[in-house]
Amino acid sequence: MLQVSNLSKTFSGQAALAGLNLTIEAGQVHALLGGNGSGKSTFIKILSGYHKPDPGGSVRVAGSELTFGSPESSRSSGCRFVHQDLGLIDTSSVLDNVMFGRGFPRTLATVRSRRARHLAVAMLDRAGLDLDPDALVGALTPAQKTEVAVARALSPASGEEVRLLVLDEPTATLPHDEVDQLLATIRRVSSHQVGVIFVTHRLEEVLRVAHQVTVLRDGRRIASRGMEGLTRSELVHLLVGDELDETQAIAEKLADPADAPVALTARSVSTQTVAPFDLDVRQGEIVGVAGITGSGREAVLGSLFGALKRIDGEVRVKNAPLRPNDPRRSIRAGMVFMPAERRTRGGVLGLSAQENLSLAKVTKHWRFPLMRRTQERRQTAYWFSRLGVRPDDGSTLPLSAFSGGNQQKILLARWLNCEPSVLMVDEPTQGVDIQARARIHEELVGAAKSGTAVLVSSSDVDELVALSHRVLILRAGEVVEILEGSDVTIGNVTRRTLVSTHEEHHEDS
Amino acid sequence: MRIRNAGMDRFSGLYLGALFVLIFGLWTPDLFLTSGTLHSVASNQAIGAMLALAVLIPMAGGCYDLSVGAVAGISTVIVVTLQSNHGWSMGPAILVTVVIAAVAGLVNGFVVVKLRVDAFIATLGTATIIAAFQTIISDGAQPPLPRSPGWRDLTQQTVFGFQIVVIYLLLLTVLVWWVLEHTPAGRYIYAIGGNEEAAHLSGVAVGRWRWMSMIASAAIAGIAGVLYGSLTGPSLTYGPGLLLPAFAAAFLGTTQVRPGRPNAWGTLLAVYVLAIGVKGMQLVTGVQWLNDMFNGGALILAVAFAVWRQRRPGANSRKAGARPLAPARSGSE
Ligand SMILES: Nc1ncnc2c1ncn2[C@@H]1O[C@H](COP(=O)(O)OP(=O)(O)OP(=O)(O)O)[C@@H](O)[C@H]1O
Ligand SMILES: [Mg+2]
Repeated sequence: MLQVSNLSKTFSGQAALAGLNLTIEAGQVHALLGGNGSGKSTFIKILSGYHKPDPGGSVRVAGSELTFGSPESSRSSGCRFVHQDLGLIDTSSVLDNVMFGRGFPRTLATVRSRRARHLAVAMLDRAGLDLDPDALVGALTPAQKTEVAVARALSPASGEEVRLLVLDEPTATLPHDEVDQLLATIRRVSSHQVGVIFVTHRLEEVLRVAHQVTVLRDGRRIASRGMEGLTRSELVHLLVGDELDETQAIAEKLADPADAPVALTARSVSTQTVAPFDLDVRQGEIVGVAGITGSGREAVLGSLFGALKRIDGEVRVKNAPLRPNDPRRSIRAGMVFMPAERRTRGGVLGLSAQENLSLAKVTKHWRFPLMRRTQERRQTAYWFSRLGVRPDDGSTLPLSAFSGGNQQKILLARWLNCEPSVLMVDEPTQGVDIQARARIHEELVGAAKSGTAVLVSSSDVDELVALSHRVLILRAGEVVEILEGSDVTIGNVTRRTLVSTHEEHHEDS
Repeated sequence: MRIRNAGMDRFSGLYLGALFVLIFGLWTPDLFLTSGTLHSVASNQAIGAMLALAVLIPMAGGCYDLSVGAVAGISTVIVVTLQSNHGWSMGPAILVTVVIAAVAGLVNGFVVVKLRVDAFIATLGTATIIAAFQTIISDGAQPPLPRSPGWRDLTQQTVFGFQIVVIYLLLLTVLVWWVLEHTPAGRYIYAIGGNEEAAHLSGVAVGRWRWMSMIASAAIAGIAGVLYGSLTGPSLTYGPGLLLPAFAAAFLGTTQVRPGRPNAWGTLLAVYVLAIGVKGMQLVTGVQWLNDMFNGGALILAVAFAVWRQRRPGANSRKAGARPLAPARSGSE
């Protein structure tokens, strides 16, 4: 159905994709795996017509040749995409965003709004989404945005048959239950004889849904095989060789810093979406924040930091009160926050990796009359090797030239470099490969060991449980409990974050 | 940032300029290839180039300041009126004028930062108001030229054959370049221009730097206005006419020297390449309207070129330049 032969792409002399050959059958779910920067997104962007490949390669969809560099050709041959950066328009409504893909229903060039709304609602329903069609996409959580992007990709347009659905890390910020939903959607789509390319760094998902797996390394295909009989450890082996046993990296849990001084104090802090809550975090402690989409989990860290409007309450860092809604002073007081929205709220894509890395601490390199570039470059090189950013000589490349996972590492480095006393990270390992994930976990544990109070918000319960001494559970906009010690288990956290139907009725009445 | 094509990309303006020199040099060598032409192009463009630098600073921070023309215009009127009609001496008159210009920037900043009006609209509004003030001050009549000999010399005495205003321009370019490329302030301004939200969450005082950039822009426009009064004499109408070329140069500048970001030397290069082209054509054809035609065309071409650079296969994220009016940004390669 899809035949790729000898596809290459070179960026300023460096090969991102080198002679890729790949075949995908109709009705097959094909997992595309590989470390950060191995060329997955580059391949997908070639399919979608965003990048033009080097001459010499070819792609056939259902027998007909794809015209490179032409999104129209890609679409009309039946390919649909959910890109890593989703490509939604933040300033438009959910309704408009899902309709952009297929075109609005019109009479005499006028949009038939009622009909459009009807279609959109039906589309959202079909995708199992409970969203207000008039909500601005910019106001949605990352998980909700992903869902909108999927709904849009699958929206049927008249006369066009969908042959291939391509999903580039759609699950990077999705919690388990929504992953289940998405995997179900994938199965359903593929059962209609649609080919699916699925990129992810989470191997369980591969084991659950894929029929076939291809592994890339440095832009080359190093393995391609059926999933039957493949175990998780064999998959890890395919991906990284013998280098690492991913489970061991975070096995050693930290001792509970029971009598360390308190670094962060929050008293009846509330935001628009979270009811007042209290929290103390000690130096050297790691506290997780768990909750399903819409539970208010996404707002907790932001409200402490000042990225989100804090309606009420008090936050202190080492006993100094923080002004609400003032990130600059929070950072000065030693509290830093990495938001989950990497591209819109984290990085400045047009600036170099180096400029991004030192943005929160520019004055460190300033000695009148010049910025000390050498020192800055040395610092960047240090973080690049510490977190394994690739390409490792890319410190002056714009951030947008890095792969998603590498962008994530660079932005994390920005905050680690501040040597904060309170480190708050939202989805710290989104989009990074399994080695980098272990590396980042080590960093967080290392920060805690050196006396930093660490708060981790994540849709990935495994991650929270592996790292945290305590886990905050959010449900329906409320911090309902804080699990401690031996209560912090995957089963417990998952169960408590889900609202049982019984309780829902209870709360409604 | 591998240099593979001898700077064909980053310094394409230089090649274009050289091409102009070659063509017109062969065509009318005795008119074009003279030191007189060189000196007059250099000083004729100096004021316009300063306004382009004024536009550049807020543009780097993602704002369009459309009031620089009006600020320059009123500054000329003020500095001349103070001297001719009120008997002020040159120094205080210049100082007060530049301060007044900076106050205009302060007001722009207030409207943009505190009232949260989009800079495009805000400065369009203040530009109109400033023009009204200019009429009040001048009473619709061109003020007489100050008689003090120092006034002319301020810009017109020659250094190495160039009028000294050209030296001022170089100093100003160095200053703007230094601030934008070599100080934390520049880092902050570029970060704000690239992603305001990310800058804010990284602890950049977005409002303050944006405000500062509007003040700097207006102050530079004020200086340009003062110098215009000395170089060319008072005029009530020239200011707004320089706005479009200033934007053309700043935009074209984003494709030069440091492709993808508005920058000082790129802007200067753009000003003079355009000027050489216009001058050559004028010498060859003898018509005067070329200037406007060239500048308008250059503005459109500059933006089209920047967009094309960005969309070209292999260029970086489309998202980085997604805002339709934002200075186009593309990655350096
Ligand atoms: N626009 C660009 N300019 C220069 N280099 C680029 C550009 N886009 C990608 N690259 C490089 O190409 C390589 C492959 O990147 P790609 O985004 O395809 O990786 P990926 O497999 O999707 O990784 P990830 O899992 O982190 O998303 C990387 O080394 C990256 O730095
Ligand atoms: Mg990718």
